[in-house]
Formats: sequence, C-alpha cells, structure tokens
Amino acid sequence: MSSGPYNYNYIFKYIIIGDMGVGKSCLLHQFTEKKFMANCPHTIGVEFGTRIIEVADKKIKLQIWDTAGQERFRAVTRSYYRGAAGALMVYDITRRSTYNHLSSWLTDTRNLTNPNTVIFLIGNKSDLESTREVTYEEAKQFADENGLMFAEASAMNGQNVEEAFLETARKIYQNIQEGRLDLNASESGVQHRPSQPGRTSLTSDTPNNKDQCSC
Amino acid sequence: MKEPATSENDPIQKRLNKILETRLDTDKDTLEALSDLSTFFTENTLQTRRNLRSQIEKRSVAINENFLESFREVKLSLDSICNEIDAMAKSVNSMKENLRSSQALTHDLIQQTNSLQAESNKLQIDQQIAGAFLSRFQLSVAEHQTLYGAVKDAPITPDFFTVLDRVQSIHADCRILMQSGYQTAALDIMEEMTLHQEGALERLYRWTQSHCRNIDSHDVGSLVVQAMSRLQDRPVLFKYVIDEYATARRSVLVRSFIDALTVGGPGGNPKPIEMHAHDPKRYIGDMFAWLHQAIPTEKENLLLLIKLCDKNDLSEQIQNALANIADGVCHPLKIRVETILNSEKDTIILFAISNLLRFYQNIINYVVKGGNLEQCLIELRGHSEQSYLNALSAQVRSILQRPTTQSMGLDPPQRDLVPPPSVGKLLNILKEILSVASMVEGRQSDITKIVSCVIDPLLQSVTESASHLPTIDMAVYMLNCLYHMQTTLAMFEFMDERMERLQAQSDAQIDTLTSEQASSLVANLNLGPIYTILQNSQARIEANLLKIFMNKMDAFLEMPDVLLLPQINLLLSSTHRSTVQKRSFNVIITIYKQIYERIHDPESGYESPESFFSKTPEQVAELLSG
Repeated sequence: MSSGPYNYNYIFKYIIIGDMGVGKSCLLHQFTEKKFMANCPHTIGVEFGTRIIEVADKKIKLQIWDTAGQERFRAVTRSYYRGAAGALMVYDITRRSTYNHLSSWLTDTRNLTNPNTVIFLIGNKSDLESTREVTYEEAKQFADENGLMFAEASAMNGQNVEEAFLETARKIYQNIQEGRLDLNASESGVQHRPSQPGRTSLTSDTPNNKDQCSC
Repeated sequence: MKEPATSENDPIQKRLNKILETRLDTDKDTLEALSDLSTFFTENTLQTRRNLRSQIEKRSVAINENFLESFREVKLSLDSICNEIDAMAKSVNSMKENLRSSQALTHDLIQQTNSLQAESNKLQIDQQIAGAFLSRFQLSVAEHQTLYGAVKDAPITPDFFTVLDRVQSIHADCRILMQSGYQTAALDIMEEMTLHQEGALERLYRWTQSHCRNIDSHDVGSLVVQAMSRLQDRPVLFKYVIDEYATARRSVLVRSFIDALTVGGPGGNPKPIEMHAHDPKRYIGDMFAWLHQAIPTEKENLLLLIKLCDKNDLSEQIQNALANIADGVCHPLKIRVETILNSEKDTIILFAISNLLRFYQNIINYVVKGGNLEQCLIELRGHSEQSYLNALSAQVRSILQRPTTQSMGLDPPQRDLVPPPSVGKLLNILKEILSVASMVEGRQSDITKIVSCVIDPLLQSVTESASHLPTIDMAVYMLNCLYHMQTTLAMFEFMDERMERLQAQSDAQIDTLTSEQASSLVANLNLGPIYTILQNSQARIEANLLKIFMNKMDAFLEMPDVLLLPQINLLLSSTHRSTVQKRSFNVIITIYKQIYERIHDPESGYESPESFFSKTPEQVAELLSG
C-alpha cells in the first residue's frame, strides 16, 4: 500500500450525447480501450465507462455515461444529464441530419445541466472525408456562436479522440481552479478525493497518523 | 730457513748463525727487557755489573712478593664472594622450597578459578543465546504496546501491522522450533502468540468497525484497507465489519438520495428531482438514473475496501453488502413511485412508467442482486403493470358505457352498419399505447395483456349490440368492426395469435353472409324449385320453370350487382365484399352447371337441350367472376 487506496484526486462525470449512429459508443470505446469497435450494437439506455487521466499533475477519474441515441430512450437518457461536469455532443460529418439536430441537443443540454457544464462538440468520422456533408468551418462557426469547444475526430483511427476528452477535463479543472465549481456539492459532477486519509472521522483524532500513512 | 744438513754439522756455527740472525731491534722481549734494565741499571760499573744478577733476582723476588701480596687480597675477596654465593644458593634453595610448597598450595585454587572462568564464559554465551531467542520469539515492550495500544482506544498505526506480522512469523517459526525438539517451549510460545494475535485482531476489529461506522465521506483510509486484509482470516469479524460498513453507507446513500430529491445541487443546480414531480416520467426517470449512477460508485468503494482481501471468494458477501447498502433507498423510492402510480390516471403515461421501471429493474439487478431493492423493484413493476391495465380497463369501460344507461354496451348500430365511434376511439387508444417506444425486450406478454384488455370487452360489446340486428346486418356490422380491429392491429408486432382469432371470426361472418347472399340469389332467380328437383336424380325439371329461370338468369348476367344484397355494399372491406360476392356467385355457377349437365344428359330425355341455354356454364362463370 504505497499510494493509498485511491489513485486519483478527482472524479469528473461526463455524458456523451448525439443522434443515433454518430459513433458515441465507439468514441468512448476508443478512449477507454484505445481500439475501434466495429459492428458496435445500438446502446440500450445508458452505458458506462471510466478511465483515469492526468491534468496538471492531478489524477482524474473520468466517469463517462454513454447515452443511447435512439429516440425511444430519450426519456431515460435525459435523466443522466443531471450533474454532468462535461458533455460531449457528437454529430456525424457524413450525415447532415445529425448536424442539423445539434441545436435541439444543445437546448436539452443547457436545460438539463448546470451553467458550468463544459460542452465539447465533436464532429465524428473525420476519416470519411470523401462522403463529408458538413464542413469544418461551418461546424466551427456553430461552436463559436454557442460557446462550445470543438474538434473533428475519428473513433475509427483515434484522431483527436483523446484530445477531446482531455481538453474537456482541462477546462473543467480550470473551472475548479477559478472557483466556479463547488467541490463540496454532491452534484457538481466533480468529486474530490483527498490523498490523505484525513477526512474520516476516526483518523482526525490521531494527528500523527497522517505522517505514517505513506500516500 | 736453515739447511738442517749443514747446521747439524756444526753446533757452534749454528749458534753463531742464530745470534747473527737475531735481529735485536725486532725482538720485543729483548727490547722490553733492555728498556726495563735501563731503569735501574743506571751506572755501568764493574760493581754494578757484578751485582746485576743479584739485583735482578732481588727485583724478581720483590715482584713475586708483590704478586703474592696482591693475590692474597684477590683470594680473600674471592673467598668472601664464594661465601656470599653459598649463602645465596642457600636462600634460593629455601625460596625454591617455598615456591614449591606454595605452588602445591595454589594449584587447586587455579584449577577452581579456571573452571569458574570457563563456566562464566559459557554462561555469557548462554545469556546471548537466550537474549537472541527472546528477541526472536518474544515481543518487546514497545511492540507489545503497539499491539495493544498504550491507552484505551488508541488508534491503529502502520506499526501495528508490522508487529502483527511479527507475531505471525514468530508463530510460524515455532514450527521449526518444534522440529528442532523444543516442543514445550514451542508450544508455549505458539500459544502465547495465538493469544497475542487474537487480542490484536480483536482490537483491530473494534477499531475497523468503529471506523466503518463513522465513515460518511467516500473515503476509506489505507489503514482500513489493510485492516480488512488482516481480518479476512476471521470470517465472522470480517462479516461484522462489512455489515457495519454497509449499514453506514446505507444511511449515507439514503441521505444523498433524499438530498438529490429535495435539495438538489448547490444553489439549486441541478434542481431537486422533486421539482419534476408533476412530470411523472421525468420524475421517476430521474430518481432511477440517480440510483443507477450512485450504486456503481458504492460498489467501487466496497471493492476498494476489500482490495487486499484475496483469500476467500467474497462475491457473495459483496452482493449481500451491496444489497444491504441499497436497501435504504427502497422506502423513499417506493413511496414516491407508488404515489405517482396511484394518482396518475393516464394509461399512456402509466404504460411508459411501467416500461421505465422494467428497464431500470434490468439495469439495477445487474449490479445489485437480492435484497429489498430487487424485491421493491419487482413489486413496483407489478404495481405499475396493474396500474396501467386498471387504467386501461377503466378507460375501456367508460368508452363502452352508454351515457344514458348504466349497462355496458355500444351505441346501437346505425343504418350504414359502420362501427360506432367508440370502436375507433378504443382502437386509437390501443394504437397509442402500442406506439409507446419500448426500451425493454420481451414485452410480448405485456402487449398480449393490453390487447386483450381492449379487444376482449370491445368484441363482447360489438357482439352484444350486433345480436339485436337481423342476420345479414349483424354479419356486415360484425365484419366491419372486425375489419377495423384487424387493420389497426396489423401494424404491430406480436399480433399473430390475435389476428388469427379475429380472422376466424371474420371468416365465420363471411360464411354467414355468403350463404345469405346465395339464398337470396337462388330465391331471386327462381332456382328454388329447380334446385329441389336437381337433388332428386329421377325427377324431371319442367320446361317452363327452366324458361323462367333462364330469363332471370340472363337479366342477372347482364347486371349481376342488381341482385346483391344492399348490405353487401356497406361492407367496409372491398376484400370482404368481393369474397362474399364471388363465393355466392360460385354457388349459382355450380347450380347452373348442374342444370346444364342434367339437361344435356341423354338419359333425361330432353329434345334439343341447346334451345334452353343461351350460355355455357363456362361463359356464365366468366361473366360472373369477371
């Protein structure tokens, strides 16, 4: 036990949203497993993935809720926006309709999350340049107008996938540093894990304990 | 030097030679003698020369007397020395004697001393060994204190585990000790160590338990994790600690759940879940989503707590503990969901909620098995199913109830025999319910239940109101209603069995209608008497009957629709219409063919049978089915 029971300092909650078939689950899979998942089945309701990353020398555990894009699950997936620290909003650059629905996704997100939720727009399938229907510039403009972070990514070859998740985390961390997120609140989408076991009530009456615990 | 031969010959010469050869200046003795002589022979006179000899002798005597004198003294000195040496020898001898006796005296003492010294050395070694043994096989005072705590309720420190390890290794070493033949000591130490171990684990257990009891944040200290790994050898204590932990987490979970429901996030963002209580789907969905997200975190924390416990299969304990942790939320959850289920009247919403419940039941059972939560979800789901079925039945009842009377029944059929509006209404409700997106597999039984809930009473009412009608009207009315149902249900899954039943009922009505239409045709074409005769192979068909029939038949073939029952045109389904028409016409075609064959049969004895018929049966068939 050299590093204490936790090997991370924070937990950030993310949600991934967007139309059916834009590659939400594949992005998550690429991010957590670093592999492309071909023939990915439709998500039923909500799936869950985690990965520990590092931002500013702090270990952060990302708890990612991957929602189903199908309309029939909308009632279920809406409940998961609650308390998300980051929202990855995905469309498919080869299907214009998925881009056109972004504003409704954005409305949902704004209504259901708190104002500090970091929203990152991802144009997925950037590897399919030949069948592109949405230009980078157009989407970039949409993102700028709505104050979203933006990147085109490919769950297929992994391009920009890591960056999107990490950039979002950096932004959230920055919000924490600037005091815009209240860590003590249970539903800010962020949980702090102090490295010293100093918060449990018993250890508090043994001040010398902290030195002996190699954390 | 000298030739012996010559010297022998002449002694004088020899002597002479000798003198001649004597070199005075080199003969020391002579020189000395001469120099000495010169000291006293100062005057070379005759006298003196005569006296020389005596003088020399005198001198010699004097010298010898001197010698004597001197030697006497020497002798005296030597004598005294000799005496002294004698005395010394004597005293040495006596000393020697003394020594010998004292040596004899001290010999025992020395021996004793030596043996004592050897013994002392041995004892020293023994002491070292004993010391090493003790430090190896016994706990030091400090260790003892670490193990039992210096004061009451002293906290556990990392050193505690080091000492506990030592106790265990001592215990293990005792086996070697025993093999080496020190059974008694080994057994004693083993027993002692066992007592220490039990005492320490007991203390550790109390500490861990109270630690877990007071755990309210998510954090589990590394010491607790370590403690759990030590306690895994004591399943009973281990279980108690896990129980304590689960109980503590249970109340934390309930508290956070209630907070999420009533307080929400900081500054009301996100809003408390109960803010959406007016929107039952959202409200219930939010509650379950919250649980779905909270429970995996609990599981993770629990797994963290027992991270170092690798000796036993703990999966069952984990399941039990998780079930225990999740128990607490059942009550607030159940109350809220039941309130919604009891107050909501909208069938569609209730059905959606039931779907939602089933969806989450699957998801949550995946994480938490057993316990109250599973039971609670089963009950809630049962309740929700009952609720929407009840709501649906109530809705069906209210639509089927005639406003004027209290009895069940539909509006009486109108003259156009179309299904009454209530049928459409009910089927629309059914359509709406069936269109509610389902999130779960295996809903066939639900749908069957829902369909029965609507269609069964509907069919009953339709049949009842149809029963007051004349046969043909009844059949048409029934067919129209059945058709409406069939077309609605055909759009959905899992309807095969129901469709088959409806089809069977339709077929029965079509049969009725066909036979009514055929009878009507037979009557209108005056076929009645001819047909009776046809049944009797001997009888002969009268020519005028045939003529009347043929006239009517020709007119009928001109405009077949004229003889159709007016109600047939009220059939909504063109398939039904054409089926009835075709089948009833087929009856006529068959009869026509029989007549034609009978007349043309030579045995019947008609002359020029051709004169009766303007058309062959084939032509008739073509005209009627065209």
